[in-house]
Amino acid sequence: MSRLVAAELLKLRTTRTFVVIVAVSLGLVALASVLALALGHFESQVDVASVLSNSGSAGLLILILGVIGMAGEYRHGTIGPTFLVTPARWRVVVAKAAAYALAGLAVGLAATLLGAVIALPWLSAKGVDVSLSGADLSRIFFGGLLYSAVSGAMGVGLGALMRNQIAAVVVVFVVLFIADPLVSGAFSDYGKYSPSGVSLALTTLGAQDGAPFEEIVPFWAAALLYCGYAASLVGSGILLVTRRDVL
Amino acid sequence: MIAVQSLTKRFGSTIAVDDLSFEVRPGTVLGFLGPNGAGKTTTLRALLGLAAPSAGFATIDGRRYRDLQEPIRTVGAMLEGVAFHPGRSARNHLRALSVAAGIPATRAAEVLQLVGLAEVADKRVKTYSLGMRQRLALAAALLGDPAVLVLDEPANGLDPLGIRWLRDFLRAQAADGRTVLVSSHVLSEMAQTADEVVVIDHGRLIADATVAELTRRAGAAVRVRSPDAARLAELLAAANLAAESAGPERLTVRGAPSSAIGQIAAEHGIAIHEMTDEARTLEDVFLELTGPPGGRPQ
Repeated sequence: MSRLVAAELLKLRTTRTFVVIVAVSLGLVALASVLALALGHFESQVDVASVLSNSGSAGLLILILGVIGMAGEYRHGTIGPTFLVTPARWRVVVAKAAAYALAGLAVGLAATLLGAVIALPWLSAKGVDVSLSGADLSRIFFGGLLYSAVSGAMGVGLGALMRNQIAAVVVVFVVLFIADPLVSGAFSDYGKYSPSGVSLALTTLGAQDGAPFEEIVPFWAAALLYCGYAASLVGSGILLVTRRDVL
Repeated sequence: MIAVQSLTKRFGSTIAVDDLSFEVRPGTVLGFLGPNGAGKTTTLRALLGLAAPSAGFATIDGRRYRDLQEPIRTVGAMLEGVAFHPGRSARNHLRALSVAAGIPATRAAEVLQLVGLAEVADKRVKTYSLGMRQRLALAAALLGDPAVLVLDEPANGLDPLGIRWLRDFLRAQAADGRTVLVSSHVLSEMAQTADEVVVIDHGRLIADATVAELTRRAGAAVRVRSPDAARLAELLAAANLAAESAGPERLTVRGAPSSAIGQIAAEHGIAIHEMTDEARTLEDVFLELTGPPGGRPQ
């Protein structure tokens, strides 16, 4: 399995997609940090935590990276040679999910560090007191990393399930930006368990004013739920990929 | 040894492969022929574990592809069409396959050299011509130095030099004792490459023979041009040789050597302006076997 993960990481490194996605992720993090710091009001430590928690924007791009990594093999026809090397197709999907989780972890770490490098000096220049407890800091730090890593695996699962990368990316946007807010509006309990609500719970300390979700689930529940969503996507992706002919 | 046994593949109500059986023995090149859409690619994909047969099975050395211990060290396969990420270089494409299969990195450079892509190995595949992509696909098939080769339309996109190179290469592989299964929709490509041919159409086996047998079946013909063609035809008929008129002053004679025709003409003082031996090509036999070309849009 480690050979397969290494091969997937090599594939990831050898096209421009990865470089572009990393650059866009870090660019977004820098932009979001600068905007938040320039325009935001920092009245509570929840606000401070939110500017320090940057994996949210990176996570979405990592999810898309995972989708492209899996569905792209179908798009370019490389899935054939890939399955010829590894006829046990579930191993390919699992290795890919692991590789994209590692990539997500790396991008999440870079995003978090970049955000901190921008925000900490700026906050101190603004005279904002950063008095987050160690527990809170490690929660947003590790929560963000978990979110980024699991997003990579989730993208692979979705890519395996959909095979068409454009359709899969559209599904991501529809779920996060249309379905989740709409359904949450109709059934208020849905919001905190939705993918959007769970990712918020993983990456922030609490809902801010104007956030689409007023309530968030506890951190451990968010971690379990997000991993559960990813695992069910990867699992159903494996079932489909194993059954469908590659033609 | 490749064995296809009663293989059937249905897509909904369409039968792509219909109860097909054949074998490929070590040390031989088998040309797998049929018009486009005959079911060749589906058969090969079923053999390679990429498509699940509806009935029957296909094995390599007695095992189904997915049960092979080290598949790409056992079977080298080249799939139909372009199967590369356009933004990845040839070398990196092969490296990724090697890493996954546990094949040493040096092997990628070896096979690139072998197929003549060493100089462009670090260029992205999107800059490659169709012929270069075919060579890269062949390089990938050779990565594991397998004893069995399964190649789907490897000659597509190759220039005449490339086709000749491929032919010599495949002959050399068979001479080394490897088992080579190579598909094509152009029979003449196979005439000098294959030892045996399997011809399918509409998913069904229509011929399983050696190239020599097929050529015999083709039969030879002699084209004759003579100002006295009609009389020559009568004389030939009298000698039990079938002559058909092929236009004014022209005859086509089957089943007789040109010497016999010339002898009869000389004995009766008939002038011959032209006499050409015309081996009916395998292409003709192929078209005869697979029906009139007008029957399909190709």
